[in-house]
Amino acid sequence: MSTVREIQAGPVGELVLGRPAATRSESPLEQGLRRLRRSTTALVGAAIAVVLVLVAIFADVLAPQSPIASDQTQTFQRPSWDHPLGTDQLGRDMLSRIIHGTRISLAVGVTSVLLALFAGVPFGLIAGYYGGRVDTVVMRVMDLILAFPIYLLAIILMVIFTPTAGLLGTMKVVGAIAIVRIPIYARLVRGSVLSVKEKEYIEACRALGVRDPWILVGHVLPNCLAPIIVTTTLGIATSIIVEATLSFLGLGTQPPTPSWGWDLKANVSFIHDYPWLSLFPGLAIFVTVLGFNLFGDGLRDALDPRLK
Amino acid sequence: MRIYILRRLLGIVPTVLMITLVVFVMMRSIPGDPVVALLGDAYTEEDAVKVREEYGLNKPILIQYVIWLGRLAQGDWGSSVLSGRPVLQDVLFRLPVTLELIVLSMAVALVIAIPAAIIGAKRQNTWADYSATSIAMIGVSIPEFFLGVLLLLVFSVGMGGALPSSGWVYLPGTCTSVVCAAGLWGNAQHVLMPAVALGVGRAAILTRLLRSNLLEVIRTEYVTTARAKGLGERTVVLKHSLKNALIPTVTVMGLQVGFLIGGAIVVETLFAMPGLGTYGIDAIISRDYQQVQGFALVTAFAFVVINLLVDLTYSFLDPRIRYGS
Repeated sequence: MSTVREIQAGPVGELVLGRPAATRSESPLEQGLRRLRRSTTALVGAAIAVVLVLVAIFADVLAPQSPIASDQTQTFQRPSWDHPLGTDQLGRDMLSRIIHGTRISLAVGVTSVLLALFAGVPFGLIAGYYGGRVDTVVMRVMDLILAFPIYLLAIILMVIFTPTAGLLGTMKVVGAIAIVRIPIYARLVRGSVLSVKEKEYIEACRALGVRDPWILVGHVLPNCLAPIIVTTTLGIATSIIVEATLSFLGLGTQPPTPSWGWDLKANVSFIHDYPWLSLFPGLAIFVTVLGFNLFGDGLRDALDPRLK
Repeated sequence: MRIYILRRLLGIVPTVLMITLVVFVMMRSIPGDPVVALLGDAYTEEDAVKVREEYGLNKPILIQYVIWLGRLAQGDWGSSVLSGRPVLQDVLFRLPVTLELIVLSMAVALVIAIPAAIIGAKRQNTWADYSATSIAMIGVSIPEFFLGVLLLLVFSVGMGGALPSSGWVYLPGTCTSVVCAAGLWGNAQHVLMPAVALGVGRAAILTRLLRSNLLEVIRTEYVTTARAKGLGERTVVLKHSLKNALIPTVTVMGLQVGFLIGGAIVVETLFAMPGLGTYGIDAIISRDYQQVQGFALVTAFAFVVINLLVDLTYSFLDPRIRYGS
């Protein structure tokens, strides 16, 4: 739809509105940013994401209490002024746990995707650019990873890594999710490279004697960026769901580190008496994933309308 | 066509072997083994060595795999190290539960997605379209276990236990033990919430995809021709547009099977269902090697067979697609 709108708002539209004609043509990036600013869904998604990032950064200031300090005299408190989202079976303040849980969700979501990106993109570049045996070997390994149902592989990897609490435990979750996502980037980049490498400007680079690594990083990669950016944003949403699912199954972030998935699982057994305890962590996961999905969708429409 | 199917069926074998081999090696690379859990407090190194010998766990991993394959070829799936029960018997007992869950969740997905996508495409940029796409976006963003919790809150907690929050009643004919309950009504009550929890996310993905495919198809010349020759709108949409828009959708449905298998693990855990998902996750966590291999075998087999069915569906949807010629 946005492509249709672009055509209608071309030079004719500008003359009708009496604005001066453009003196230079916009770069694809500028066009994309302009479309992005017009997309309400993308802006709503970006706003949610920014708020969540701020909550994660200032969690220590925003949280009214410690997320891990238990108080046996305050167990299963209903939502009140003292505890706006109530307390759990250990008397821990749910609002504080949810605020601190933002850190784990965002940290795992973003870093696992970035790790997969930095590992998967070189594989895709090399496989696509060199082709032949290199391509066959790299893509066979990637296909093997893709042959597994995503959750199943992540679960087995987490059992191998042995889930633990704290920073190390979080890094294990990041590693497991990253491994599962590497082939997505490798395949995506390889596909783009296959179409880009036949273009005349790449041939011109070769004729000028530019070395392969520079051709790959300086010329091929920038022309594959749009789908990479879109996949990364949407991938953050997926990674957040996978982290929450692993924690829900008891294989992700371990207590006492606050995690939305774990809190939901721990409180589901009390759902008949204290329903809000399962509701709030679930809502937190949902709003976060929705934010990144909305932003990713808007980015896709803006940067690469062909993918719509 | 027959040769093509035969060739594809033969192609299943190396894929399944590869997946089961990788799972075999991965499970045995986990520190510790099920013998520690089996012996519990009575653990002594001497007993552990004896039990490992008994189960062949002291042999090199690849030899163990070849032994497992050899037994499998004779129909012996091995026995659980922890419970001692035959794996094949357990898998056959639990498979109908998961199959029912997956088939019904796919049905839920299609029942929601097809009308929603048709409405969205036919009334593009109206409130009906915006509603369909917004609900689809919400559906994509809601994890299965949270939707399951919401359903529990409404139908089990809110409506005074209208639907059971856990447990299972088997479909008549699928219960092979004397201790399990079976009945059509009880089964429907137990499967409804899990199937919806698992199906809504798939419905959302299919709605978005099918809507955009339909938008492309209804602008093609053959649809204009169908309208020009006086066909009713119903025939134009259902017979000429939908069938063609379904081809890429079926591909994605095939890819979704992987997610469905993973989703089944989560949903079965939430609703305490005795399916293959809970069997698999319990086996992986307790490192019960034989159980994990049985689970991996069924999962890998289901994955490749469904992908084959997806490919065969293409030629039904578009008769121009012929295989093997």
